[in-house]
Amino acid sequence: MTKDLEHQFVTELERNQNIVHKVCTLYTNDRDSHNDLFQEITIQLWKAYPKFRGESKFSTWMYRVALNTAITLYRKSKRSVPTIDYESVTFKISADEYDPTEEQQLKLMYHALKELGDIDKALVFLYLEDKNYTEIAETLGISEVNARVKMNRIKNKLRTILNP
Amino acid sequence: MDELELLKRDWKKKEHQMPKLGYDEIYKMIWKKSSSIVKWIFLISIIEFLLPHLLYLLPAMSKTIAIWKGLGLGNFLLVSNIVQYSVVLFFIFQFYKRYKEISSLDNARQLLSNILKTRRTVKYYVIFCLSLIFISYIVMAAGIYLSDNPLDAMGYNYNLDNADPTKVKTTMIATVLLLGTIVTAVMGCIYFLLYGILLKKLNKNYKELKSMEF
Repeated sequence: MTKDLEHQFVTELERNQNIVHKVCTLYTNDRDSHNDLFQEITIQLWKAYPKFRGESKFSTWMYRVALNTAITLYRKSKRSVPTIDYESVTFKISADEYDPTEEQQLKLMYHALKELGDIDKALVFLYLEDKNYTEIAETLGISEVNARVKMNRIKNKLRTILNP
Repeated sequence: MDELELLKRDWKKKEHQMPKLGYDEIYKMIWKKSSSIVKWIFLISIIEFLLPHLLYLLPAMSKTIAIWKGLGLGNFLLVSNIVQYSVVLFFIFQFYKRYKEISSLDNARQLLSNILKTRRTVKYYVIFCLSLIFISYIVMAAGIYLSDNPLDAMGYNYNLDNADPTKVKTTMIATVLLLGTIVTAVMGCIYFLLYGILLKKLNKNYKELKSMEF
């Protein structure tokens, strides 16, 4: 690996690190696990980087490796309990847009999101990231129709949580 | 407003609340060691491949080889060793081939499937070894049954003049079979417990993805 490749990779990852942080926020409950998963994703990205030939955008490629790491390769159990300090950072709503009903709804929804299984989380994540169903299906290895059906089920699940 | 749209809007705002790591921090990370499940599976599988062979190095095992020869089962030992090593080579080749296929660039389902297949190769290998261990105990029991003086043949110099030879033989056969069952069962339990713990998350996620195909 040349110095150039290292520099290129780190610069790209630094620019796109939000994607990895968002995956970590979704799949972990405390800061230590967040950092742990971030590191593992970085290692996996770096290992796969020589095979990334720029056929897709760097960010598109990142989604796949990051989610694969979270769903499959990451080994730590998720038994840790979320700390109040961490939740207030990741789920806070800015004061100028404060709306008690919305805040309550969002809180419930983020809570419900955390309770979803690994695969469902990946689906919602890609949906929230504005990925279309073709991309979602390709990333997870399922058919587009099934991705839609599954997403509708998750939407209904979230709706039931909000309007019991 | 659609609940998910509300969530999406808020999700986008979070972009600005995410932690930010500097160039140097990321640079340091790329040289850290991975602790991924694939690495663990690889290391544990290698240990499992080596373990049955390391057992032969123990002094107790060398004594067992002498017992086999005493019972006239030297040939069985030789044949079973040839079979075992051929199978071991086959399994190691399969394992390596499958291990090489694991890539984080595949889609999630393919990746999970490849990892589970790699691990399954080791599972079959362990089942093969456990069967071989159990079979060797059965063959040893048969050797005792066919031997005129099994105690002598096995190199034990106990004075059992007063004991009924049939009784001695039956006791020996029962002991060998019981020991064989216990050893196989204990090793099997340890292995499948380890196997289950390692693959719990992978199996769950793979099942979930597979259940989406209907």
